[in-house]
Amino acid sequence: MRARTVLVVERGPDGRGLVRELRSQSPLSLVPRRGTAAAAESAVTVHMVGSASTPLAGDDVELDVRVGPGADVVLTGVAAAVALPGLAKPSSLAIRFEIGEDASLQYLPEPTVITARAHHHTALSAELHPTARLRAREVLVAGRAGEPTGRYRGTVRVEETPADLHERHSRPLGMNESAVRAGRAVREQGRVLLMQTQELGDLPLGRSAAHLAGRRVLGTEVLIWGDDPGSGVAGDWWSLTPLARRGSLATAVGPNAVVAQRGLAEAVAAHPGWTNAVLAAAPVLR
Amino acid sequence: MGSLASLVLADARFPGGGHVHSGGLEEAVARGLLTGLDDLEPFLRGRLRTAGLVSAAFAAASAVRTADARVARAPVSAACATQAAVGGGRADAGAAQASTSAARATRAATWAELDAELDARTPSVAQRDASRAQGRGTLRAVRAAWPSPMIDELVAVHPRPHHPLLVGAVIGLSGGSAAEAAECVGYLAVSGPASAAVRLLGLDPFAVNAALVRLGPDLDDVVATAARAASGPPADLPAPSAPVLDLMAQAHVHHHREQVRLFVS
Repeated sequence: MRARTVLVVERGPDGRGLVRELRSQSPLSLVPRRGTAAAAESAVTVHMVGSASTPLAGDDVELDVRVGPGADVVLTGVAAAVALPGLAKPSSLAIRFEIGEDASLQYLPEPTVITARAHHHTALSAELHPTARLRAREVLVAGRAGEPTGRYRGTVRVEETPADLHERHSRPLGMNESAVRAGRAVREQGRVLLMQTQELGDLPLGRSAAHLAGRRVLGTEVLIWGDDPGSGVAGDWWSLTPLARRGSLATAVGPNAVVAQRGLAEAVAAHPGWTNAVLAAAPVLR
Repeated sequence: MGSLASLVLADARFPGGGHVHSGGLEEAVARGLLTGLDDLEPFLRGRLRTAGLVSAAFAAASAVRTADARVARAPVSAACATQAAVGGGRADAGAAQASTSAARATRAATWAELDAELDARTPSVAQRDASRAQGRGTLRAVRAAWPSPMIDELVAVHPRPHHPLLVGAVIGLSGGSAAEAAECVGYLAVSGPASAAVRLLGLDPFAVNAALVRLGPDLDDVVATAARAASGPPADLPAPSAPVLDLMAQAHVHHHREQVRLFVS
């Protein structure tokens, strides 16, 4: 199945998020939360619903999410995704996020289970304004209980876009082409915040104490959300580490999804920017 | 010449301070994940195919760029000399100087981009520190043995250059290829941890050496992948993650401070 799914949210005149565009197709349907609970919040919550068996061989799904200046979006999964057989032709999911000035996006899908004969590829690329915030989670389960894992390869790339996009296209007078190129590259340096590829399905690698040490579940969470910890924080099977330029990465592994997600939650709780935001949003107790 | 630089940099007796790093092996041993020779080989293979591949690819990319700059630089200075000899005028000399400074700016931007892309592929702050500490240690030896303005340009981007970038730059400067740089750095990604295993677990050095040699086909794969990607855009260089290595690196820092540990990383 081939699907192009688009979500565009802007900040409305009353400060609430406004869904400007919502196009979704089976197998990935987007369902905005409605009703009184949704009306009480300024953030727009959208549920991602797998509306057919997916990912399955040959599935090609794209998800584009644009969050306009000042808007807040929460994108959540409702059930685990189960990657099904795809040996002949891999299934793929390409996700692109664009997050504007002072805007935020939380991407919190449920775990993805890579079943024995699955062959699934994902690519998540996020472009953030220097003032934008992002929380993006990924939990991978290497096979159902008692089943070996299928093949999975997923790349995450997070970049900061220059505050002034126009600057990139203007050409200063009296500079030759290579100086312009060099200048552009200097301006663009430091734009990339995180780039990493996770791989499942290489058995020796999965068993290696360097890679997954035999753990079946891997959870990661990118947090670009205010203050980062001054140094790394670690538990037995989780860690939270500040990235070189901005943001942090939480990582946890475990024998099952419950343990790995608990580790991930501990790592996220150690993030000062996120914790402050949660405390600030909580109702004041008197 | 490239092969001599490569041999010297990969030599355990090279005074670059690499002997204080175990590449996560000490933490794996402390956790009981690695108890003997049977676990060592998968550990090394996993390290080589993840962190080793990232390092090898960046060393290869660095070697390609220093080799290119070395070639580009020679004709420019020759042209300047000719112009000066025939009295080509100040305007031409000025133009040549401008193009040299533009080339320098391009190289500075290239180093900055490689440095940022490697940082982005090393999310663990403990591992970034380990890479930069090894780079800094290696830099002292490099300055004495291979002084070059191109090394200064790399250091200008960050005073503690990432180890793979520095090693790749030296091999490129010495006429070595991207593959040679990848091989040197890929080998270092496993040779250090292997010798740490001998010390920490009291393993038979002959058996450990044999295990290292059995990684040959994996090293060949890593070198081929790194060399293929080397000339392309830095954003496309491989970025395989090693989740347990990352989280162990963080935990090791705490244990290193609080308890007695033999290795820094």
